[in-house]
Amino acid sequence: MELWDLRPHAEPHPGAPISSPVSHGHHLPQLLFTPLAPRGAAACSGAPNPPLTPFPSASLQDIRNTVGNIPMEWYQDFPHIGYDLEGKKIYKPIRNKDELDMFLEKMENPDYWRTVQDKMTGADIKLTDEQIDLVHRLQKGQFGDVHFNPYEPAVDFFTHEVMIHPVTNRPADKRSFIPSLIEKEKVSKLVHAIKMGWIKPRKPKDDTPTYYDLWAHEDPNSILGRHKMHVPAPKMKLPGHEESYNPPPEYLLSEEERLAWEQQEPAQRRLSFVPQQHRSLRAVPAFPRFIHERFERCLDLYLCPRQRKMRVNVDPEDLIPKLPKPRDLQPFPTTQALVYRGHTSLVRCLSISPSGQWLVSGSDDGSVRFWEVSTARCMKTLPVGGVVKSVAWNPNPTICLVAICVEQSVLLVNPCLGDKLLYGATDQLLESFVPPEEERVQPVQWVPATMEEHSKGIRLVVQHSKAVKQVTWHGKGDYFASVVSDNSNMQVLIHQSSKRWSQNPFRRSKGLVQCVLFHPIRPYFFVATQRYVRVYNLLKQELTKKLMTNCKWVSSMAIHPGGDNIICGSYDSKLAWFDLDLSTRPYQLLRHHKRALRSVAFHKHYPLFASGSDDGSVIVCHGMVYNDLLQNPLLVPVKVLKGHVLTLDLGVLDVLFHPTQPWVFSSGADGTIRLYT
Amino acid sequence: MAQLTARFRTENRRYTVEDVPFSVPAASETTDLSQLINKLLAAGNADHKYVEFDFLINGQFLRMPLVTHMEMENISTEEVVEIEYVEKYMAPQPEECIFHDDWISSVQATEEWILTGCYDQTARIWSLEGKSIMTIAGHTEVVKDVAWVKQDSLSCLLLSASMDQTVLLWEWNVEKNKVKALHCCRGHAGSVDSIAVDCTRTKFCSGSWDKMLKIWSAVPTDEEDEMEEGANRPRKKQKTEQLGLTRTPLATLSGHTEAVSSVLWIDAEEICSASWDHTIKLWDAETGDLKSTLTGNKVFNSVSYSPLCRRLASGSTDRHIRLWDPRSKDGSLVLLSLTSHTGWVTSVKWSPTHEHQLISGSLDNIVKLWDTRSCKAPLYDLAAHEDKVLCVDWTEGGLLLSGGADNKLYCYRYPTTASDVGA
Repeated sequence: MELWDLRPHAEPHPGAPISSPVSHGHHLPQLLFTPLAPRGAAACSGAPNPPLTPFPSASLQDIRNTVGNIPMEWYQDFPHIGYDLEGKKIYKPIRNKDELDMFLEKMENPDYWRTVQDKMTGADIKLTDEQIDLVHRLQKGQFGDVHFNPYEPAVDFFTHEVMIHPVTNRPADKRSFIPSLIEKEKVSKLVHAIKMGWIKPRKPKDDTPTYYDLWAHEDPNSILGRHKMHVPAPKMKLPGHEESYNPPPEYLLSEEERLAWEQQEPAQRRLSFVPQQHRSLRAVPAFPRFIHERFERCLDLYLCPRQRKMRVNVDPEDLIPKLPKPRDLQPFPTTQALVYRGHTSLVRCLSISPSGQWLVSGSDDGSVRFWEVSTARCMKTLPVGGVVKSVAWNPNPTICLVAICVEQSVLLVNPCLGDKLLYGATDQLLESFVPPEEERVQPVQWVPATMEEHSKGIRLVVQHSKAVKQVTWHGKGDYFASVVSDNSNMQVLIHQSSKRWSQNPFRRSKGLVQCVLFHPIRPYFFVATQRYVRVYNLLKQELTKKLMTNCKWVSSMAIHPGGDNIICGSYDSKLAWFDLDLSTRPYQLLRHHKRALRSVAFHKHYPLFASGSDDGSVIVCHGMVYNDLLQNPLLVPVKVLKGHVLTLDLGVLDVLFHPTQPWVFSSGADGTIRLYT
Repeated sequence: MAQLTARFRTENRRYTVEDVPFSVPAASETTDLSQLINKLLAAGNADHKYVEFDFLINGQFLRMPLVTHMEMENISTEEVVEIEYVEKYMAPQPEECIFHDDWISSVQATEEWILTGCYDQTARIWSLEGKSIMTIAGHTEVVKDVAWVKQDSLSCLLLSASMDQTVLLWEWNVEKNKVKALHCCRGHAGSVDSIAVDCTRTKFCSGSWDKMLKIWSAVPTDEEDEMEEGANRPRKKQKTEQLGLTRTPLATLSGHTEAVSSVLWIDAEEICSASWDHTIKLWDAETGDLKSTLTGNKVFNSVSYSPLCRRLASGSTDRHIRLWDPRSKDGSLVLLSLTSHTGWVTSVKWSPTHEHQLISGSLDNIVKLWDTRSCKAPLYDLAAHEDKVLCVDWTEGGLLLSGGADNKLYCYRYPTTASDVGA
């Protein structure tokens, strides 16, 4: 039954090679079979002739699988293997053989080798001898049909000889002898393109070999670049006149020089050879030191110091700090306006009334003069009988009092200038003193003026034990401090004029005190010794700060009206500006003067400060202090004022600003006071 | 030699020349042009006498070669230049030198007498011939300013302001040559630096170092004003102050922040004051209100007003004399500065008769006579003083006066030319 079923498949077509006996499809189209059926060897292939052979079509068709040409693996997991024509499932034959059964069957069954499985039905088929024979033949690449002879003799349909009569007498095509239109079009297109330059002739091939620059992309500035660090070899000295074959006679060595040359060590010689004179170039002998010289040159190159000098290319202009132009910082004093003449000796000290109407000056001629500022008129002369070291006008505008240092005493003088009510009230204030009941021990003596002195204006005399060199008022005008030339702790004394009471604030001497100063706002007291400025808090009675001036000998000191900045002049011609909030070292050290500074001053309102020096000049600087704590003060020198004549090697002894105008006064050793506006 | 075409013109009919363009050498100066005009005049008028002329181009005096001047003034030399000529102002003729005992702080002269204030605490009256007529002593301090109030043939009223904070009103009997202090004006708390009498001669204003301006009555009365603080004044002082009856101010004008250096009346209602606080302030005398402020950048020493040209001239603590327009509201615009002095200008005074001329004294010992039409150089330098010049004055009679720190008062006669009167 199964064979029956297979037969039409087994021999479908004797000429068609079958790749594999199991793979050829059972479902080959029916059409293939029909014309070839007569050639088939099998007598039983009765497909073309169904009526002749009883064909169990019903049972055969039933079993046909209808799933089509699909991979049969799809039905692997199902119990059926497809569907028959009626749509009923075709069940796989039951296979319950395990490996052992299979093996046993392989061993026992003699036809095992010719049994194949039909994929479509899953049934085992035993191949017949013919079928096996067919398989063998196909495997060998032979035709399936045994009787087919592939080497039958060929029959020539046409002779190979050219006959005199053609087989056909068709005339040649016209197109074979007229030029082709299509080609013509193509050529004209090409010609047009060439004309228009769309097609260019091929460039001649450049047959120069191409080289690649390996280091083209290397960064020349990279540290590895060796050539960057190139140090040129030291140049040889060019030959001079000595090397000439005919040097001028002054280059020839004399006998002594030659001897000296020979005595010298070869390394010490200035010249390594003796200059020689020859009549002509022809007469010049061979150079015997040639090898030696070349060797030395090689040594030079080998041992030359390979060091690079780092040169900084900076425009010197850039190093100068950018300062505003003095023109933009006006007003400041520029020209001498008035000269106050009258003193006969050097004018040591100056002070001005708080209103700015009167000026007081003390001189070595033993007098104190009061001047009208606006006209340079000497209003009063007060002979005090000694060198006046210091004068200080009371800064309180309601008190008209001047403190004057004369030798060992401080005079409190009422100049009787200005408002009558004011100086009357000042007298009343001084007279209203009631001595305390118990006498207190004081370092100084307060002596009321005698009648004669009173008529001159002197109200009180504070007698010190030693010579007084400076006096300065506190801003409120009641206290004043005096400095005594002494080496003990009694150098600085603080006095209260209304109570006629003096005290010695310091227990120990910290050095030679140069000058003292009251802070304009806070209870601080500045004491300048030779090298340091000490800041004391008067309320807490302690040392607050110690400023290092970096100077050898401080001469004078002034405080900014804001109270946070101090300037110190020194005898070594330096001016140190301290920002008290910033540091105890100078914020700036100005060295504008050529000689010792004698005096420094701040203006009360304008951002100006001035310094007077032994070189006879006053230098006015713009010193702007900003409210912004982050911004440092701006110091710009704006003007050098000259006018004083050097006398006894001394120039300007004191400088002072007008309280309201941008004017500066200077007193000099030539006995004059000058006003610059 | 380059030539320029110029047309000459004058206001003075006596010296008119033909109004045709003349060709003049480009480098010609004033003297050359003057000779040219004189030749033209002589040709037209046989009995013409030589007259010196001065030349003005666009209102500026010619002080250098013509072509240089035109280059500086940017005048085209291609066109015809219009040159105006006036008879040359004659130099002031020195008349008198009056010696004082001390510095002269102030001077004011009339047609008959000269009044000076002096640093020896006196005021002095002099005749125009330089004869000392009267010495007025009474102040206890330097006399800073003096002013005439009224002049009659019998008696004169005059004022003196002093550093002793008072202004004294004096009556001077001319016949008997006696002087009497009528009133002592108290109220200032600083030296009184400047006084000015108004045009009605009934009021005066004083400016003081205490930053105040005070207006007082200048009319003598028999009553004494009450002093507010009379009680607490020391008794000793009162005795010395028995010079005349005490007078208190009618009004006080405060507004300056520094000393007032100079005051004047612009007209009957307006007061002008110059101060050390770098301002010139104009005040309404009736209400005492501040009308406007002119701000400079230097201390003002002196200010003067000319009703003819309505300009203020100020001298300050620099070398310049500045001209201001008082009508400009807070513009603080300097119209012109006259620069030739080398020291502070202590005193300026406009000519009472000429709208272009003024006189100035300076700390450089020189008095300069200016014409505002030549601001680079003055007309004349009067260099007679040997020390600082502190005050100058110019009378209607054409008398220039200057006093200074060399204790001398110099008088110059400055003839007013016909063209001045015309102007």
